[in-house]
Amino acid sequence: MRETPRQICLEEWDQRQATLARQGGGEPSYGGPLGRHVEREGNGRLRQLRFDNSTAALRLWNFLLTENQRLRAARAQGERLVGAMKDLGTVPVMAYALPRVRAFYPDGAWWTPCLMECTDRLLNQAEALGADATTCPVRAMLAAFQNGEHFPRPDLLVCSAGAICDDFSAIAQRLERLGSAVLWWEMPRRREPETGEASCALPGGLRAPADQVECVRDELRRVAIALGRLVATELTAERLRDGIQSANAVRRELQALRETVYAAAGAPLPALEMLIAEMLAVHFCSDRDESRVVLGGLVQEATRRVAARQSVVDETGIRVYWVNPVADLRAMNLLETCGGQLCGSDFMFTHALDLIPEDLPPLEALARTALADPMVGPVQDRARRIVQECRRYRVEAVVVSRIPGASHCAWEGAYLREHLAAELGVPAVEIEVPPVCDALLPALRTRLQAVLEIAQSRRRA
Amino acid sequence: MAGLDGAAIQSVVATGYGRNRVPFAATTITEITCHARGVHHLDPAARSIVEIGGQDSKAIRLDEHGRVRDFAMNDRCAAGTGRFLEMLASRLALDWSGLDELSQRSQRPAVMSNTCVVFAETEIIGLLAEGVAAADIAAGVQHSVATRVVAMAGRALDPPVVFTGGVALQPGMVRALEGVLGCPVRVPADPQFTGALGAAILAGGMA
Repeated sequence: MRETPRQICLEEWDQRQATLARQGGGEPSYGGPLGRHVEREGNGRLRQLRFDNSTAALRLWNFLLTENQRLRAARAQGERLVGAMKDLGTVPVMAYALPRVRAFYPDGAWWTPCLMECTDRLLNQAEALGADATTCPVRAMLAAFQNGEHFPRPDLLVCSAGAICDDFSAIAQRLERLGSAVLWWEMPRRREPETGEASCALPGGLRAPADQVECVRDELRRVAIALGRLVATELTAERLRDGIQSANAVRRELQALRETVYAAAGAPLPALEMLIAEMLAVHFCSDRDESRVVLGGLVQEATRRVAARQSVVDETGIRVYWVNPVADLRAMNLLETCGGQLCGSDFMFTHALDLIPEDLPPLEALARTALADPMVGPVQDRARRIVQECRRYRVEAVVVSRIPGASHCAWEGAYLREHLAAELGVPAVEIEVPPVCDALLPALRTRLQAVLEIAQSRRRA
Repeated sequence: MAGLDGAAIQSVVATGYGRNRVPFAATTITEITCHARGVHHLDPAARSIVEIGGQDSKAIRLDEHGRVRDFAMNDRCAAGTGRFLEMLASRLALDWSGLDELSQRSQRPAVMSNTCVVFAETEIIGLLAEGVAAADIAAGVQHSVATRVVAMAGRALDPPVVFTGGVALQPGMVRALEGVLGCPVRVPADPQFTGALGAAILAGGMA
């Protein structure tokens, strides 16, 4: 059932899905109408979103929105669950290298207040637990652990500490104080090697002192031992190597998707679906192999649309690079509404998009990848990568999104906006998106539309 | 309002916060672009615009062709907007022009320590209770609004600076802005309509 690409509302998707089901559309076990996620789980925000109308996108959304069910089913079948906190893409690779272990990302609860339009009251509960509105919305995770109504309590909770977000560190420490045992591992702040200092190449064209790589490798070794004990199976180098290959298979799909979509003349897929797809790289949405299938479907759809010169927006749309994820998914829809198309992104975990080196000892490879995290190094490194991608994808405007209360990006956003505008000579705007942005939509829309208008006038000039 | 016959209108551009609620508009353009166009039409030498309205405030930088180079907006807080002045006028039981006339009698503008309108209202009550002259409070609030807007602009605004929006109708605000910027500020005729003028010019280009 192929139609011209466009963004459709929830009701239209449910009608289409019903037709698909009657025709024997071959949906996966977690498939079905998106509307059920509103009725059963209270994800009322879906009513406000505009979705891509491809079956590949339907699969993506159903995959995302059934994660908690997937975790509970795994628990019921005796699998061990690992909560990988503040680790965007390293510990899950290790966990999935073991049999009967499933890693997930409790931090992902930061989107629950958005999806449930704050009816979950997680943010209020987090405040009562000591994490108020001056901290990042990821504080929702604290309440989700306490009330147990969202994800199941993991058998092992692993969290990186050190050069990570201050807010998250405070929230995770509060979680530990409330009774959740946490296995901490240290992440040093990445720095440039000094002249003559032994150093290592990292993914993404970065370098770090060899001492730092060794430190992270030793920390990850502790994590590997703890993971192995969880299922009484040693996490050997061989298993890790296989795990890295499987993770890279997912990352290759994502790389192909980004290249297909961002290099295209139009927008083969909308910004919202690209954000969700990229999130799969962090923790595989609790099913590594299915992540690959879901991403593969999106690559096929995007490739088909590019070949057919089809786009979800007018091909003359302004080419936009987006920095940082948004707390309210509705904000991503605004891009197309205002006449833009997503042609590049840094959603804070670009290191999870790079392939993990397969020609190194596996723990060494994972340590180097972890150290390439844009959030643990200087913002200048992050800006350099963004500039490269903007040039590669002929970007005409940049949007830097901020998350209210998130201290790790309070100043970084302003630096990125000014640096990118100066370096690239394109207009850049900074926006702040809270978990439910309805009241701010007119203002957000004005900012986005204005920056696209500036880009449009430069294009004409 | 303009007394035009509907048949005489060849194209309609909607601007401002309500622009998406104008079903008969051919297109929508933000007030940022419209102010830029309107100001460039009235004062082609202008390189910066400070626009303060009741809803928000903006600093807009222009290139030599009148195109927007960059902008900054305060749309989250009433402290840098006309709303602050409206609140003060209401508290002092004055109308809009009465507030400005009062501010011009100030001998020593009060220092407002709060940047939040809600808290500032409490501060104003405290100042009145301490016997601070209402004229000094009015001038202090105008200075506070000007300081807030210039701080939002981030970097120095290139001259010539044009001041638009309804708040530009207050001579006291013009002086406050000039004081904070350290340079003269130009105010076009009917500064509250500059955005509408820009929208009309842009609509004319589409007709």
